[in-house]
Amino acid sequence: MNPLVSDAFVDFLVTDVLELDALLALPAFEGHSRAETIAPWLAACRRVAREVLFPDYRTMDAEPPRFENGRVSVHPRMKHAWKELCELGVIAAGRPVEVGGQQLPLTVATVSHAYLMAGNLAAYAFAGLTTGAAHLIEAFGTDALKARFLAKLYSGEWTGTMALTEPQAGSSLADVTSRAKPTKDGHYLISGAKIFISGGDQDLTDNIVHLVLARIDGAPPGTKGISLFAVPKKREQGSTLVPNDVHVSGVIHKIGWKGLPSLALSFGDEGDCHGWLVGPEHQGLKCMFQMMNEARIMVGVNATATASVAFHESLAYARERKQGRAHGASPASAPVPLVAHADVRRMLVRQKAIVEGSLALLGVTARFADLSEHATGDDERARARLLLDLLTPIAKTFPAEKGFEANALALQLHGGYGYSSEYLPEAWLRDQKLNTIHEGTTTIQGLDLLGRKVVAGAGAALQALGEEIEQDCARATFDVSALRAVLPSVSELVATLGMRGASGDVEGMLVHSADFMDLMSTTVVAWVWVKVTAALGARTDDFAKGLHATREYWFATELPRVPELVRRCQSGERSFRDFQDGWF
Amino acid sequence: MPLKILVTAKRVEDSESKIKVNPAGTGIVLEGLKFKINPFDEIAIEEALRLTAKHGGEVVVVSIGGKEVVEQLRSPALAMGANRAIWVNHVGPMDQLGIAACLQKICEKEKPDLCILGKQAIDDDQGQVGSYLAEALGWSQATFASKEESLESEAEKSKAPAIKLSADGKSVTVVREVDGGLQTIEATLPAVATTELRLNQPRYASLPGIMKAKTKPLEEVTPASLGVDMTPHITVVKMTHPPARKAGIKVADVPALMDKLKNEARAI
Repeated sequence: MNPLVSDAFVDFLVTDVLELDALLALPAFEGHSRAETIAPWLAACRRVAREVLFPDYRTMDAEPPRFENGRVSVHPRMKHAWKELCELGVIAAGRPVEVGGQQLPLTVATVSHAYLMAGNLAAYAFAGLTTGAAHLIEAFGTDALKARFLAKLYSGEWTGTMALTEPQAGSSLADVTSRAKPTKDGHYLISGAKIFISGGDQDLTDNIVHLVLARIDGAPPGTKGISLFAVPKKREQGSTLVPNDVHVSGVIHKIGWKGLPSLALSFGDEGDCHGWLVGPEHQGLKCMFQMMNEARIMVGVNATATASVAFHESLAYARERKQGRAHGASPASAPVPLVAHADVRRMLVRQKAIVEGSLALLGVTARFADLSEHATGDDERARARLLLDLLTPIAKTFPAEKGFEANALALQLHGGYGYSSEYLPEAWLRDQKLNTIHEGTTTIQGLDLLGRKVVAGAGAALQALGEEIEQDCARATFDVSALRAVLPSVSELVATLGMRGASGDVEGMLVHSADFMDLMSTTVVAWVWVKVTAALGARTDDFAKGLHATREYWFATELPRVPELVRRCQSGERSFRDFQDGWF
Repeated sequence: MPLKILVTAKRVEDSESKIKVNPAGTGIVLEGLKFKINPFDEIAIEEALRLTAKHGGEVVVVSIGGKEVVEQLRSPALAMGANRAIWVNHVGPMDQLGIAACLQKICEKEKPDLCILGKQAIDDDQGQVGSYLAEALGWSQATFASKEESLESEAEKSKAPAIKLSADGKSVTVVREVDGGLQTIEATLPAVATTELRLNQPRYASLPGIMKAKTKPLEEVTPASLGVDMTPHITVVKMTHPPARKAGIKVADVPALMDKLKNEARAI
């Protein structure tokens, strides 16, 4: 049976690499302890993922939701999965006790939710989206709004969505045109069209709360005039729920996440769509951005989980499937398992490096998120915040981009069977692709990293990262010179590009943002592998050998690409920059 | 009528673990193994929770072993919803007679209306404790409790208990799994029931349940404090893996196959 994610790695990561006990010593997490709450919680997630979610993955992938008579019906098995996810308590797990949550550290949620996502990404997504919507109302809504929506969302009685994207605007939220007209009664009348709304309609729950970006009449243009609204599918009238003029205008036929309907929605076709302002007027994007690190970390986990389940599937296949013989072996000898072939092991080690490297990177990033909120010292919180902001675009993009490569390797390893839909790797490959697109595409992440994060605070974040890296290098008992060697050139590069931007050549600064993301990711993941293997101490068992060998693989095959990428960014290499549209 | 129900939670090796016999052949290698609650006991807890949800009452869960069994008592047992736990702290060998004796003493003190135990534990598959306990207490016993409805049925989805309490609260009706079918019996309370796999689909421990379990009462006792001598009456003489399956062979023709089936395998 596919374990979805390695228990041994997760247990080691949480306990030894991320030093959970030290995190749980913070006053915010006083209700938790490793033995009494975290270990049982991980055990519960593993069971629900393996026994409830994963068995229904294939059928949910094969039979997507149906759109009939203006309503969307999800796969019948989703009802069972939803009930179990709600009972498990996953929606409010990370929220404070006051709102019905359990104050689970994000560090723990990151790894525990990875099992649920690996089991059935689309099924988990209903819960993830509901948490996101509820969290916005919790953080920015009025008390009346919280009373109306929060308990119902956190219990899973209703679900939530993020309704940001519009057909004409895509990633460019500055061009959002949905409108909100104030009324005397305190609510706004919402009108407009949204697209790619995941979970935008379903027959799991009585109601859905959409978090909608729209412009209040007379608002300034661009991102400074966008406000956030809670817009339920049905609104309360007395003690009943009546339709709130929210309509499904179409379903998106997509290649992955097939259990989760993705819809085009129209609001206020009949002029009767009530919405309630969340947060201050015109501050909608600012509110959204405050949730962004967490949302992007979770997309990184989506990607890691999707690569992880495929890695374990291909590992089991490579051990079981017998094909070919060692060089020079007699043709009459028995065939050997695939894993006995060196190139098959290359494909497995590469997947392991990406999957476990990603999970560790996300764990490290989530830990900074926990510290940025709950550390007791102001300086410690501020430093954690800097590192969180810097690492988030990498923790979103590396698992998504390299995860796609890992998923392709898992498929490749299955040979012709991998290319057939009888086997699951092709489904995970399809699921994975979304992660480079949603919650900020790879392009957006690259621009965010180079244009904002590394140059913020006059390089303070980069300096803090350097200190973190050096700290782990210093306690390593193995050769880390290759990592130390690339660090000065990365700092120099950032200084050069920063000056290029400051001198007015912004395009020249950002033209290689994708390469910059690549070199930063490769370096940061090399650091993460140092951190992971340094935590092994003197261990020499197979588990430890496997992790050390994976780090060596990353150092030998990936780190050497960094100097070339640095040169490319530094020189501002012009081949595609100068390429004219007409030349295609 | 509220019911007081006593259930058990044995810590067993996780069936996903690779079990190896130790070199001396006296037991299995415990290093690196994962442990969990006996799945039959989990079903017992679920049934008890359904009964007390319907009739009111209390569920007390018992485990015997070293301090590690507290893990299974807290989660899933208390996290699923059991009200309190009793941990019989005992390190060292034990057999079914010692276990049943501990449970007997606890029952004499706690005076439950009903004990529900797994019909067996998945580690040593002895399947004897339930019957020993009923005998020791002089209570009626209803082993192999199952139900007529399937695990996909509406009755199961509604989480209705399959063990039915009579209107006067003096007996329970239990559907037993027997060779080739089901048998319905009525057992006078107090009684001991043991669970089959088809009795119910146990709930999962939830995060709110796990958090609540931390503060639920957990009482520690010892066999000595219960007045029980745990010296085993049974000694494990030898433990071996099942013989490995031998590779197949190709036979020349059908007559050769027939010959082997007849004279070697004696299958025809």
